[in-house]
Order: sequence, then C-alpha cells, then structure tokens
Amino acid sequence: MIDVTGLRCRYGDFEAVRGIDLEVRQGELFALLGTNGAGKTTVMEALEGLRAPSGGRVRVLGVDPRRDRAAIRERTGIVLQHSGFPPDLTVLEMVRLWRRGTPADALERLDLAHRRDVRIKQLSGGERRRLDLLLATLGRPELLFLDEPTTGLDPESRQRTWQVVRELLAEGTTVVLTTHYLEEAETLAHRLAILHEGVVRVSGALVDVLAAQPARISFDLPDRLDVGVLPMLAGDVVHEPSGRVHVRTRELQDDLELLLGWARRDGLRLTRLRAHHASLEDVFHAARGAA
Amino acid sequence: MIAALGVAELKLLARNKMAATMAFVMPLAVGVSFALSMGDDQWPMVIGLQLLATLGFTVYVTVTTALVARRQDLYLKRLRTGAASDAVVLAGVLLPPVMLGLAQTVLLLGVSFALGAPAPSRPDLLALAVVGGLAVSGAAGVATSGITATAEQAQVTTGPFFFGLLVGGVWAAATPDARALLTPGGGVADLVAGAWGAPVALGPAVLSVLAWTALAAALSVRLFRWDART
Repeated sequence: MIDVTGLRCRYGDFEAVRGIDLEVRQGELFALLGTNGAGKTTVMEALEGLRAPSGGRVRVLGVDPRRDRAAIRERTGIVLQHSGFPPDLTVLEMVRLWRRGTPADALERLDLAHRRDVRIKQLSGGERRRLDLLLATLGRPELLFLDEPTTGLDPESRQRTWQVVRELLAEGTTVVLTTHYLEEAETLAHRLAILHEGVVRVSGALVDVLAAQPARISFDLPDRLDVGVLPMLAGDVVHEPSGRVHVRTRELQDDLELLLGWARRDGLRLTRLRAHHASLEDVFHAARGAA
Repeated sequence: MIAALGVAELKLLARNKMAATMAFVMPLAVGVSFALSMGDDQWPMVIGLQLLATLGFTVYVTVTTALVARRQDLYLKRLRTGAASDAVVLAGVLLPPVMLGLAQTVLLLGVSFALGAPAPSRPDLLALAVVGGLAVSGAAGVATSGITATAEQAQVTTGPFFFGLLVGGVWAAATPDARALLTPGGGVADLVAGAWGAPVALGPAVLSVLAWTALAAALSVRLFRWDART
C-alpha cells in the first residue's frame, strides 16, 4: 500500500526527516511512533501528498501521492493532527460539504446525530475528533491516515475511537497511525516504526519488536540481604540502594522460577514483585537512548 | 464541488458579523452616498468610485480576510485532504466574494441609473473595467493573504492596496495625470470614464489594468500559503 525509500524532508535549514524507509502492507495497522519533533507528522504529510519531500521516493497505492493526489483521494481518508474545521458551520453542513448527499443517519455511527445542527465551534474536543474520523471514513477508504486521533480525548472517547479503528481493520482497511500513547499502539498495531530525530530507530512487527527487548523482573530484597545471595540468573541484575532489585532477562520464565524457588526454600517474601515481558514503553525508551 | 465550497463560504461570510458588514453593507452604503452627494455631471466619477469601493471592500478585503481566516483555522489544509484539487479549493473560496462584488456593482449601477445617471456610450469599456477590476482585486487579495498572519491583521495589511485602488481612482478621474495609471485604481477609473465618452487614452488604461493583474497574480503564486503561519 505504501512504499517509502530514503525519504527526506526539510524546513529551510532544518532537516526534519533524514532518510527513512517504510513499508505498509495491505490490511495492517502501521504505527508511526516518536516524541514531539521526531518527524511523525512531516512523514504523514509526505505520505498524504501535502508536502514535497526534499529527497527519496514515496509511493502510495502505487503512485506519487503529491503528483497524483487526485488519483488517491477517492481511496484514502485522512485525519490530520489538527482538525481544520471552519468554526461557523454546523456538523451536518460540514458532513455534506465533505460528501454531498450524505444521509443524516451516517452521524449515528460516531454518536454525533444529536449534534447535527450545532456549530462546530460549540463541539467538545472529543466530538470534533469524532467528526474528523467520521469525515475521513465516509468514503469507505482503502487506506486511512490517522495523525494523533486520540490526543486530548478522555478514556471513553479513546476506547470508542479504538473500536471504530478495529471495525475498519476488520473490513480490510489499511491504517497508518501516529500516536503519543504507546499503549494505543501496543493494542492496535501490527507493525510499527519508532522515529527519533528524523530517522527510524526501530521497526518491525509488534511481537518481534517487543521480543527483541529483555523482559523485566523487579522486587524488594528483604531484610537488607546482599544481592549476592540470589541464585544464578540468566539475566542482568541491578540492585538499587533502596533495596529494590531489577532483573533484565531474555529467560523470563526460567529466571522467575529460580527466584521463586529460592525464596520459598529460604522462607522469604519478595514484596512488590513484578514480572513482565518488555512493553512498547521499554522499547521506546531504549530506542531514544540509543542516540 | 466549487458550488458546494462556495455555498459553505457564503454561509461562513454571512455568519461572521465583521466580515459580513465589510462585504455586504459597506460598499452599498458608500456607493449610495457617492451617488447622492455627487451625481449630475459627475456621474462617471460616481460610478467609477462605486465600482472601486465595491472592489476594495467586497472583493479585495473579503478575499484577504477569508483566505487568512480559513488558512489559520487549517480549513484550507483540510480541504486539500479531500476530493477537490487545489484550483477547485481556491476557486470555491474566491467565488463568493467575486460574485458578490459583481452583484453589488450591478445593483449600484441600477441605483445610479434610477437617480438619473445617463446610459454609457461604450458599455463594453464598462464591462472591461468591471472584469479587470474583479481580476486585479481578487488576485491582490490572494497575494495579501500570504503576508497576513491573522484575520485581524488584515485590517492593516489590506491598507496600501485599498488606498491605491480608491485614491488612484479619484486621481485618475479628477485629473488627466498619466501617473495615476501607476496605481491599481487608475486604469479602472479611466475605463469607466471612457465608457461615458470622456477623452481618455484607452490603451494605457487597459495596459495598467493588465499589468496590475499580472503583478498581483505573480505575487499570489509566490506568497500564497495553504498551511497556517505560526
């Protein structure tokens, strides 16, 4: 669906995107992650055909999205980072401007039917974002770009947005998503790329990206015991002065079994015990740290 | 699509009190007051000034303000994510003020005729003045929007061209000074005067309107922006 090689974008002297490769496959949700200023929105705008790259090659649905914008518009839906609504139109007027002859009951899908005659400037942030998503999906696009669709939403609105995205994925829509919320990407994404300072630091399938990072075990070592009393573990052990122990291991199950067996034999209670495989947050911090 | 965008734009214009006053009320008020206060043997000058006031308020200022407001709302950027091409988006926003300017010009001509203005001997020159004036003020509005950060700032940035339009028109109508043609309003005023048989040099007047239109269009291409100025 999308094929990007060596993409570069600059704003004057500043190069925001410094040669990135991306591939988005049909039917998947691809998440583009990164801190503010990492270049996510710039990449999105290049994919959407709104920004001329300063270098590299971009193909969306087989064509150059900037030169052949008209050709791909019927097949794509776009939620920009900022909605860009004229404040003095009503919800229904905006929907009909976007797609002529849209029946009013289309507003029900995103729970906006009761707000149809309200001016957009009177909508809440969540309602605006839902209107955004509604407009982007009116034409049943094959490819949907979502640039931070849930930023500023309350948890319930976010859940509702996720539900809509899942339904679209189930219908076969391909989705490119940027988000600040790592749990959002972890919940929805099939594959992802983490941008940092205009380059891709990590990319791949979500499961592979997570598996590449060691799992974590942490607990409080009782009675000021020395860390030397621990059994031999496969992972690296760090003992904080506070008494808390962190283990980073690729053998989560084995190391956990050793630890728990040792504790039981010695009659110890490991308080505040946590064990988990790497989260996207761990991957994200590792990617930024690799600078 | 142009029609749908144009209707939306008209609604936005009508729902914004400040912009609506500038576009609907000001030119009619100014135009009627010209007709009532001058008139008689000065009809060509009255009609020329009516046309220039309409071009200034309804077309030039409204185009500038609308484009800046839509751009800063990121509405223009949004429209580029839809089915319409850039040309269609721009035409959709420009069409209402231009059509409104044309309608007001016709209305004010009607008022002047009703108050006793004679029919023009060369209506083709009057038509040329209207079409040329619409083109130059529309293009100038697009260009000015590019150097205007906010809709409020348009009150300042539209000043120079607006001044050139009206003062140039008065200058050209009141004196035979050819330097008046260096202003954006001079050529339009001379064409209107010519339509009522005044002995003006038509070639330079047409050239002046064409040159200002070309300049404004070239500046539009250079200065116009789709994305918000931050």
